[in-house]
Amino acid sequence: MKDLTTASAPVTARAEHPVRFRGPRRLFEAFEDVFDEESFFLIVCVFIGIFSGLAVVCFRIAIDWTHLALLGPLPPVHNWRILVVPSVVGLVVAILVVHVFPAIRGSGVNQTKAALYIFNGFIPFRTAIGKFLCAALAIGSGQSLGPEDPSLQIGASLASVLGRQLKLSREKLRLMAPVGAAAGLAAAFNAPISAVLFVIEEVIGRWSAGILGSVVLAAVASVVVERWFLGSEPIFRIPVTAFKRPSELIAYLVLGVVGGVAAVIFAKAIGFLRPRLKAMPRWTQYFQPAIAGLLIGLIGYFGFPQVMGAGYDYMDQAMHGQYVWQLLATLAVLKILATTLSFVSGTPGGMFAPALFVGAMLGGAVGGVERYLFPHLVGSTGTYALVGMGVLFAGFLRAPMTSVFMVLEVSGNYEIIVPVIVANTFAYLVSRSLEPIPIFDLLTRQDGLVLPSLEEEREEAILRVEDAMLSAPAIILSAADYIDAAERRIGNSAQTIFPVRLQPSGWGAITREQIERRFKEGKGEHTIGSLISAQPLPSLYPDLPLDSALRFVQSCPIVPVVNRANPQKLEGIVTSQSVFAKYAPPRRD
Amino acid sequence: MAKFLDKLFPRSAILVLVLLTLAAVVGFAVVGHLVTRYNANRQARGRRLYAQGLADLNSGNAGKALEELRAALTSDPSNGQYELSLGRALRDTGRLDEAESYLESLWQRTPEDGTINLALARVAARRGSINDALRYYHNAMYGVWASDADGNRRKAQTELIEFLLQKNALAEARSELVALAASLPPDPVLQLRTAELMLQTHDYGDALAEYERILRVDRGNAAALAGAGETAYRAGRYRTAQDYLQAAVSTNSTDANLADLLASTNAILQANPFARRISDAERNRRLAAAFDDAGQRLTDCAQQRGISLAMVKPAASSLSASPGLASPLASLESRWLATKPELRRLRYEEENDLPDVIMDLVFAIEQQTAQDCGEPQGVNHALLMIARDRDTADE
Repeated sequence: MKDLTTASAPVTARAEHPVRFRGPRRLFEAFEDVFDEESFFLIVCVFIGIFSGLAVVCFRIAIDWTHLALLGPLPPVHNWRILVVPSVVGLVVAILVVHVFPAIRGSGVNQTKAALYIFNGFIPFRTAIGKFLCAALAIGSGQSLGPEDPSLQIGASLASVLGRQLKLSREKLRLMAPVGAAAGLAAAFNAPISAVLFVIEEVIGRWSAGILGSVVLAAVASVVVERWFLGSEPIFRIPVTAFKRPSELIAYLVLGVVGGVAAVIFAKAIGFLRPRLKAMPRWTQYFQPAIAGLLIGLIGYFGFPQVMGAGYDYMDQAMHGQYVWQLLATLAVLKILATTLSFVSGTPGGMFAPALFVGAMLGGAVGGVERYLFPHLVGSTGTYALVGMGVLFAGFLRAPMTSVFMVLEVSGNYEIIVPVIVANTFAYLVSRSLEPIPIFDLLTRQDGLVLPSLEEEREEAILRVEDAMLSAPAIILSAADYIDAAERRIGNSAQTIFPVRLQPSGWGAITREQIERRFKEGKGEHTIGSLISAQPLPSLYPDLPLDSALRFVQSCPIVPVVNRANPQKLEGIVTSQSVFAKYAPPRRD
Repeated sequence: MAKFLDKLFPRSAILVLVLLTLAAVVGFAVVGHLVTRYNANRQARGRRLYAQGLADLNSGNAGKALEELRAALTSDPSNGQYELSLGRALRDTGRLDEAESYLESLWQRTPEDGTINLALARVAARRGSINDALRYYHNAMYGVWASDADGNRRKAQTELIEFLLQKNALAEARSELVALAASLPPDPVLQLRTAELMLQTHDYGDALAEYERILRVDRGNAAALAGAGETAYRAGRYRTAQDYLQAAVSTNSTDANLADLLASTNAILQANPFARRISDAERNRRLAAAFDDAGQRLTDCAQQRGISLAMVKPAASSLSASPGLASPLASLESRWLATKPELRRLRYEEENDLPDVIMDLVFAIEQQTAQDCGEPQGVNHALLMIARDRDTADE
């Protein structure tokens, strides 16, 4: 690495000191040449993965210890503790959030996205500490939230701190947040592929090959660390799942539709209540998490402690067919209620685990009803619960790719890929048609931010070269043509500029005026090739984005659009006029 | 210090990487220590909850036991013993779906484990699923056991045989028994159990052979004597049965069942006209006695059912209170009446088929009356047994 700051200007004042090779150790100098900024960045990504993995391991332990210390190892149904603990801890968390860690409200996904797009990758270290403490307290005390989104933000925050300390360039520093986010999420989920996809779908919001390598490296490194310490067992002990009859896809389709509707109800409830609670007087913010905790405690007190906390154990039990469908349906409804209360009150914590919980319960319930009505269906409750998880993920978080891979990674079973795809697709479509704005976009809008999203990108019509392409001119000349022959050939045609096929390859252009002037000068025996630049014109392919034509149309009169299989075949041309016409706003006639 | 290092190695990439590596090593050490304590804590909690769960299970508090076993498993998710116990507890409380789910997830990890296969086999047996039970019992029989592999395999095979008997799958049970007997050690308890199972599968030959194997080593084994006697009796080998039963009764005179069985054997041996080494006169006497006893049984049965027969009231022959019953009984009565004059020929004619005709009728009467009026007692029971064993009787 010659200089860590050579790629672009440093972000902070401290970064203005260039990183130089003036180490007194020759040994170091010998190694320095190995690193350019790109390879150094990739190595740093591995370290981000390691540190995020370590942080997430500690975070999980903290949640578990908090839960044990506050609520005990067994579900304390009909016990006063279940009412007091979430309320009191809610009050403590509220005080911490209001006075010490104001940036840690909510899930953390949007904050990480904002760091990427607005704050040049800056996330204060205080956010990581605050998220760690408050989310561990909140989840451990029974608030209906999950540890994944906080892990994502903790990872992003650590990465941001490391990037700033290493004085990486602005471009790289921006990328640190998603890299750390992927590492944190991967460790929390023990699922690197899903984490990478989620970060691309929801945090970066764009498919970008440039960042993929670093995100994958960080995610894999963090998962390795997490497995090193906590073992390679998946979050759930997946029961035997099977998909044997294609006709059963109809049952999964129904699950997808029900899941899509439930996801919309869940999202609408949050979208409706959150701004209203935020708009209440400031002093109420101290009590909102406490009241949410009390209400959730009441749900637990009256026989449904399953809705408290992340609920992984209960998802596991649902997958093992422990609950009848009526109870599963009740738990799904109560979990939506409990999570809405926890989340809108501003308690720090994530929505991944609750979405999975609701999906698992809903899946099990729908599967139970379907099997009751159609006993020939062979899918077990566990299979429906597993597919249900992906359904809510696709419908609520609007991350269809992540939802499919998440189920596959969590279950390690590719036999159910078809039901998962069918159910998730329908959930996604139903949810999207009923509520066009995804939950994370809704939350960013409520916070007054405008951030890009993959959902928007899906809606966008991409302009391509072929959209602005004019058909190939009637007269195409060759560089070997003589000027007098060319002059005769162009005759009275209306064409003013002529593409010229160069030898052995490439394209040029010549104007009518150039040909006629040379002809009049008596240079008819010269070839066209002698008149035009040896440097061929840049050419384009029809399927390229139209943006790529913008670089050439200003400097070239025409830009040839050639066939990918045969570059000597002219498909058409683009001109500055034809390109800009496509970018012009539609006329209101 | 930082400034000093900065001067010495000013923002070198190598230095940064070395520092990051050192930080990672320190992080690993700290988190490793934390995780070790955490795991130890979890395992201790798991053990405590597991012990409580087992205690509650034994004291009949299944609901609490299941909660504790689940919590134990949550505390130590990799502990197969907890998962197995939870699966078994769920199975024993009738929650077969859940039990199967837990046990199958264990099975996925160690499909060769005999204990898990046996637990799954018991779930399948409780469901009544013969195919699954067979599969898992066989897996258990050929699977890996942590201790006493032979004993556990025999236990699994014995359970399978009992399950097959319960399902009346006698052929399958017999084939399992043959395999079990071949691998038995010289242990009278095991041999006795095997012989009992053979007896239940109606494999009298092998059962008797098994009992005799025990008796060859221990001539006075009361259970083997009784078992051999009963087996021989069921096989229709009444002379053998008599010998064993007499020996059994002499060693255990208080067993009323044995005494009844011996009495029945004696009655059969005394009533059987087909017995070898008896004189013609004795044979004829037995035939005549059997004929009379059968006639009496027919009459008694008809009276019991409220049917009037010619033997009782000749004028009212074939009148019946219950046409469904009257018809076969009346038909037998007609045959009995028609055969009675023929009895005289027994004294004069040799090598004729009359004994067979008589006994055919006797057997028909005994079987029909047994069907209509219940199992007979005494001589009639003996005649019924002779009828049933006619083709197999060797004595």
